[in-house]
Amino acid sequence: MATKVDLELFRRSVPAQVKLVLLALLACLLLVVDAHTRYLEPLRQGLSVILYPFQRVVMLPRDAVVVVQDYSNSAQLLKQESEALQQQRIELSQVIGNAAQLLTENRQLRRLLGVIEDKPIHPAVVVEVLYEPATDYRRRLVFNKGSRQGIEPGMPVIDEGGIVGQVIRVTPFSAEAAMLTDEQLAVPVQLLRNGLRLIAFGSAIPGKVEVRYFSSDTDIQEGDVLVTSGVGGGFPAGISVGTVESVERDAASGFARALAQPTSHPERYRHFLILKVPVDAIGTNEAPNPSNPIAGEIIAPVTTN
Amino acid sequence: MRQSRRIESLGSAGLVRTQGIGADEIDLRSDSWVVWGSITAFFLLSLLPWRLMPVAPDLLMLVVVFWAVHEPRRVGMFTAFVLGLLIDVHDAGPLGQYALTYVLACYGAVVLQRRLLRFNLWRQALHMVPVFVLAKVVSVVLSALVSGTWPGQAWLIGLALVCVLWVPIGWLLLLPGNRLASMSASTE
Repeated sequence: MATKVDLELFRRSVPAQVKLVLLALLACLLLVVDAHTRYLEPLRQGLSVILYPFQRVVMLPRDAVVVVQDYSNSAQLLKQESEALQQQRIELSQVIGNAAQLLTENRQLRRLLGVIEDKPIHPAVVVEVLYEPATDYRRRLVFNKGSRQGIEPGMPVIDEGGIVGQVIRVTPFSAEAAMLTDEQLAVPVQLLRNGLRLIAFGSAIPGKVEVRYFSSDTDIQEGDVLVTSGVGGGFPAGISVGTVESVERDAASGFARALAQPTSHPERYRHFLILKVPVDAIGTNEAPNPSNPIAGEIIAPVTTN
Repeated sequence: MRQSRRIESLGSAGLVRTQGIGADEIDLRSDSWVVWGSITAFFLLSLLPWRLMPVAPDLLMLVVVFWAVHEPRRVGMFTAFVLGLLIDVHDAGPLGQYALTYVLACYGAVVLQRRLLRFNLWRQALHMVPVFVLAKVVSVVLSALVSGTWPGQAWLIGLALVCVLWVPIGWLLLLPGNRLASMSASTE
């Protein structure tokens, strides 16, 4: 009978196969759980808090370059900006005169009709783009302020052109927003021309917004302006979203879809505004569920032709 | 002892490590700066926006796998997993995608480790081609399945770049160790 001799010749550690199986299974588990639930958000938040100082440090040279560039171009930039502002001021002065008249008229009509007036002005935070995540699947931006500045998931991000996107994740120091063109984002919109309520989605075509789920005889044309409708509470009503570029009507399925060009320019500037809307009132319209079963089922026959 | 260390780090001879248990701790400590320093440097490099290019090579994976081959006692699958997870969080992508890639690539490196050390860097790079491709394909397919979109084929070019860059980056990473070893050999 062989006796067990322990020579301790080699260092003992967990065999590579066991490590492989454990870690690979863990990674797969993370993949699946992260795709379908939000249980991993605390883990993600913890890790991104650890990452944040590193991200800031590596971005320091870039920030320095930007500062130098801004400084050297400042004269020209200021000139351009002041010209643009001058033009805007002239245009706006006409609008304001008109708007003041409409406002008083509207108030009077509302009072006559007994409609309750509720148009709260939301406080806003100015944020700067920290970086753009390198991911094949989504269009995202990460900003340099987070829950410490009162930013919460669900808040809309805007620039001077209109809706840029919606905050979907926050950490104490940073906020991640899905851009308007991200396929996971849905924005309740309205046609400015006739008040038609629709839903705008990110498109598979880069840089475009898609309006789906309306019947092919709906009154929507090229050049129609889309603004947020305020339905659902996620986005305040009346913010510009995009301009319709093309409408595809499919007589066979009875559905149509329209492509729109967003009016915001998330790729052009670094500063944006996050509107602090009360997000508790919002439903689940911003839930970042990548599988998005409703969209996948209904849109399939429409998009194939 | 130092000479054997030099031979091993050159990767040219078939000698296996001759140090006794625990005897190499002091002798190799200088290297740990190189190992962790290079991993930290390439990790920081990976946080920069150049990775937005679809064909960008995954240099962090290269360095981690390289050290898993050349310093298997320091860098292993667990390190790879943690670094992958951090990259996943930074990219705001599916959690676990990079972690899986790095773990699989590291496992390939661990399995081939003894064999790889007998070859020069060019042949090592050739050996690593299937390892990197398999690791990446598995994780890309899995994350495409859970997220429902196929990310395109540009990452194949990135993988090819990683394999080509194995030689110059590997040479650079081994440079400090070789220099120290040759210095100590000349003074002895």
